[in-house]
Amino acid sequence: MIEAHNNQWLAALAVELRRCGVAPDLAHHVVHEVATHLRDSGEAASQVFGTPAAYAAAVADSLGPSTGIYQARRPTGQVRLAVRGVSKRYGRRSVLRNVDLTVRAGEIAAIVGANGCGKSTLLRICAGILSPDSGEVFIDGRIGYCPQEGGTYDFLLPDEHFVLVGAGRGMSRDQAVSDGRRQAGHLGWDARERVLARHLSGGTRQKLNLVMSSLGDPEILLLDEPYQGFDRGTYLDFWDQLWEWRNAGRAIVVVTHLLNHLDRVDTVLDLTPSAPVTGVGQRRAEP
Amino acid sequence: MTKLYTVAEMTGREIFRRRGVLVLLLTLPLAFYLARRTDHSGQAVRFVLLGVSWAVSVVALFAGSASRAIEPRLRLSGYRSHQLYLGRLAALWGIGAVLSVPYTLLVAVDQDAVRSGAVAVAMLLGVAVAAPLGLLLSAVLPRELEGTLALLIVIGLQMIIDPSATVARSLPFWSSREIATYAVDHVDSGYLERGVLHGLGFMIGLTVLVAVISTLRLRRRPHLRVMPIQ
Amino acid sequence: MEQERRSQWLRGVLDLCVLAMVAEQESYGYQLAQRLERAGLGVPGGTLYPVLLRLQRTGLVEAQWRESGSGPARKYYRITAAGVRMLRQASLEWTEFVGQVELVLRKVATR
Repeated sequence: MIEAHNNQWLAALAVELRRCGVAPDLAHHVVHEVATHLRDSGEAASQVFGTPAAYAAAVADSLGPSTGIYQARRPTGQVRLAVRGVSKRYGRRSVLRNVDLTVRAGEIAAIVGANGCGKSTLLRICAGILSPDSGEVFIDGRIGYCPQEGGTYDFLLPDEHFVLVGAGRGMSRDQAVSDGRRQAGHLGWDARERVLARHLSGGTRQKLNLVMSSLGDPEILLLDEPYQGFDRGTYLDFWDQLWEWRNAGRAIVVVTHLLNHLDRVDTVLDLTPSAPVTGVGQRRAEP
Repeated sequence: MTKLYTVAEMTGREIFRRRGVLVLLLTLPLAFYLARRTDHSGQAVRFVLLGVSWAVSVVALFAGSASRAIEPRLRLSGYRSHQLYLGRLAALWGIGAVLSVPYTLLVAVDQDAVRSGAVAVAMLLGVAVAAPLGLLLSAVLPRELEGTLALLIVIGLQMIIDPSATVARSLPFWSSREIATYAVDHVDSGYLERGVLHGLGFMIGLTVLVAVISTLRLRRRPHLRVMPIQ
Repeated sequence: MEQERRSQWLRGVLDLCVLAMVAEQESYGYQLAQRLERAGLGVPGGTLYPVLLRLQRTGLVEAQWRESGSGPARKYYRITAAGVRMLRQASLEWTEFVGQVELVLRKVATR
């Protein structure tokens, strides 16, 4: 009985939050948090949280005039990455056909599509480590690249990875280590542990991979399915981190085959062969 | 300079954590030496030289393979290609030089009437050639297994081929054989000179090859233009 | 009447109390609600979460989603360095304020 009431109440809350102008990503978190609370306490939503409309208003109020980290979109900045007419074939198989993509500072672009449709290939072309058959890529800024696998040294510690990448970025040792650990902390990982990369779990190694790519704050981030092996909580932290980077003005391209987060990106580029090739900015409303 | 040093340091750390490789490094040349110790002393010296060279080239192969997937991202993180391969080479040469010390001493103490200075030169030249050889193999062969097999073939050929044959000179570690002959059999210094020239030639040639391949592989592709857009 | 006065007082210092609770131990929302309840400062969830959001927005706490054993992912709140500074400062001010109020009210009580 209570469960049905609560579910109805939560659905109403989502609607009210949207009405109050709370950004979809945050609204999602607020609803999730309330749902968890209700599950823990076993209480009826209206008793603890009042009416959905009143609670949504209180939430919007506590966020202040769009200064929160989850604020709705800022006006976006200059173009950081422009892919123009990129095509690539492997043997007789054409994987990319005349692909265009524009990503500005403060935007997240998602590259989606079935396995083998050229998502990673496009990212490697954007990074300039693979040549396309035709087309050009323009970049304005430094690139941080997070490969899907094999981006770490089995026999080095997390701190040593930070130092190695940091030195390339011109950071001092201490700075690299403290920055790396801090960013790892945002992903719920204590990187101070003295564990060789080969002994880290798959998800933790991916966190290391991700932190390495963003060390030194490059303006452009190219992330190739960096969340593999993440549990649900880390996955949410990862998207939080992505939005924070976006709001800090970085241009982000993330390869994904999961579609349930597309409502929280600014541009979707679908590489599935039957889909239209050029990505159009789209945002879906929250449930 | 910091960048080059950091690459060298991390290569060193990474190698020293591979216990299996370290055991191999420390014992393989010894095993080679002991196996031939009762024979003609020249053979024992030649085998310890080959053992050190082989061990260093295997380590170089492993270090190169481990870096292969990471180098593109390091390049994007602000490293130049030469900082990556020179840093790696510096670490490997350093490790090889350290490894040479106990084996040179072993030969000096255990063998009578051997020119120890020449043995040291041969060992260092072997290390100088082995490091870029291992890196080169890791760059051109996709997997460690294939690289290890290729090294086995090189060393095997080196052991069985008649050193006076012309074709023997095309093998990377011919110099150690030549200098060993000078050290053990007290032949004329022509052997030493030929050996040193051969060793230096191979070291430079292999290093240049490593440099060319790394630079090509890690070059920024021409389709990528860095510029303010609009 | 008494209840209303209490909740009015609490409104003024709820942010501080929540911050102090978070400072004591990293917690998620429901935990905090229970701990406040035990401390005699129970507030409905509808009041607590907006406070947490405000603290997060102003950088006094930071939040992290984390899986907990078998349950769903929970949002854990942890105090930041700025939060610690602010808490220390505010609790000094609070003690001073309470002292002054007490001085005034004691005269009434002992009269």
